[in-house]
Amino acid sequence: MNQQSPIGPPRGFRDILPTEARELGVIEQTLAETFADSGFTPLHPPLLEYGAADSAKRRRMQFLDSDGSLVALRPDLTTSVARLVGGRYGDMTGVLRLSYVAPVFREEPAMSGGSREILQAGVELVGGEGALADAEILALLVESLERCGLPVCESTVQVGNIRLVRGLFAGIPEAARVEVVDALRQGEIAGALSRTREAGMPLDELERASRALTGGAGGIDGAEAAELCRVIELARERWPGRLERWGVPNPALVPALPYYTGIVFEAIHPDAGVIASGGRYDLLIGAFGTPRPAIGFAIDVLQLHRALFADAWRPRSQRPLLLLRASADERATMRCAAALRAGGMAVALGDVAERAGRAVIEAEVIDERRVKLADGRVAEARALGAEIDS
Amino acid sequence: MRPLRFALAQGLLLNEALAALRAIGVDVSGVTPGGRRLVVDGGDIELVLARPSDIATYVERGAADLAIVGKDVLLESGARVMELVDLGFGACRFVVAAPPGALERSLDEYRHLGTLEVATKYPNVAERHFRARDIAVEIVKVAGSAEVAPLVGLADWIVDLVATGNTLRANGLAVVEEIASSTARLVANPAAYHLRRREIAPVVERLAAWAAAR
Repeated sequence: MNQQSPIGPPRGFRDILPTEARELGVIEQTLAETFADSGFTPLHPPLLEYGAADSAKRRRMQFLDSDGSLVALRPDLTTSVARLVGGRYGDMTGVLRLSYVAPVFREEPAMSGGSREILQAGVELVGGEGALADAEILALLVESLERCGLPVCESTVQVGNIRLVRGLFAGIPEAARVEVVDALRQGEIAGALSRTREAGMPLDELERASRALTGGAGGIDGAEAAELCRVIELARERWPGRLERWGVPNPALVPALPYYTGIVFEAIHPDAGVIASGGRYDLLIGAFGTPRPAIGFAIDVLQLHRALFADAWRPRSQRPLLLLRASADERATMRCAAALRAGGMAVALGDVAERAGRAVIEAEVIDERRVKLADGRVAEARALGAEIDS
Repeated sequence: MRPLRFALAQGLLLNEALAALRAIGVDVSGVTPGGRRLVVDGGDIELVLARPSDIATYVERGAADLAIVGKDVLLESGARVMELVDLGFGACRFVVAAPPGALERSLDEYRHLGTLEVATKYPNVAERHFRARDIAVEIVKVAGSAEVAPLVGLADWIVDLVATGNTLRANGLAVVEEIASSTARLVANPAAYHLRRREIAPVVERLAAWAAAR
């Protein structure tokens, strides 16, 4: 046995070092501001929720609490918010606009390279119904990504609808339809279609379902397609007159999470994969209290960062940090730093080895009012901030 | 954007997978089974050769967009990929097998000891199966030739993948129960499937037509 304690964290967890943390901080702040600009208020559900013995939910990280109850690190925030709304806002019938930026935890098999801690930023619109609410949330997702600096092109946002998928299989018995939709959630399109054939679906309907799930763009037609396109077009009105189109109707989009009931959408990046997902979940809150219609999305902040990084994004530059070399007179050094700060400078006494990508300038204390810069120039401490800004 | 990357399992499925791709007009002339070049330019599509059990990982993590791989590999790995077409070839079955005379003895043992030992190369498939049947087992993972295990006393039963059943018979084993059947599947990385639908859809359509015509 190796007696030394391990240096790294447990598998699936990692240290986020200052450069990345600073970039993530910029993204988180931008997202929080974007959410607030549409009226969403932050809330903090707890890290732990009660677990379940249900083996189908094996992706939870569960363990026993000291009193013997089974607890789980929250696997997603939508369920936590639904529990909170069902319990705390049972009597309130008005609309709730809630947002969060917080980690969730999902079990991953060992040695698969999968991360078990996922940082999510998202919103939940509780009580919002109809195409307008759908379009508002879809547009807010696009706005959130764009304000962070991600270019949103046509295929970035894929939009599907669970009701539409169920509708494709309306002709087969209920029990078979449940199995078919379950298979689609697991990504088993081939399995779903063969189950449908066994259930006796007429050939032309089977053909239509197959075209919708595996065909190219325009694989769907009729009323369902029109409904999908209508929400996308309505959401595009968030930017009237904007020329670039975004949003692709995609009936094959069936997320693995079981609680969606209507529109579903994902934002996908060629390098980072799925960076955000969301949809309507009108039945989930009912599991914890009075049923309420609801829709929301969650952005995987680390994947968004990865996508931005792949597109050569860097965070907007902060004002440089002044590294102030002390003089023998420590009192003058403290006062000089105070004068620099009063003039708007960010000041660190001495050196900073880990600069996390932040620009620095160096200076030496002359007396409590003046510093000598690296190029030998002497500057007034109080005026240096304004000088650097201009 | 890089060309679509198509992973192919080296081994039993390779020749038929290449035949299928050739039939739908993909240039596979650069691929030589058993050759040393593992990444091959096939025009609009880049072909990558890998071990069957790695294919699911490639596709799940987006290192390959599409692949042809056996359902057996998908069942064992549990990889989150999209299964698009059942290609029909490479048929085989996961089975529970035991020496014919040993069934009564092992059931007796199960009553006494409360557990059975099962040797297999496919611990996930085996564990899921016995858990679903509410049978307590100890899984003994072996890297190959599970069919020897009952002969040498390593385990009572085995879970193995069989095509014809000849290997089982040669080692004096009989099928106790069938767990699942498997054929080759066309699979895709979910993000790539949605994002690159326009490029992937024609491949799916043509392979589905090819499979249906067989």
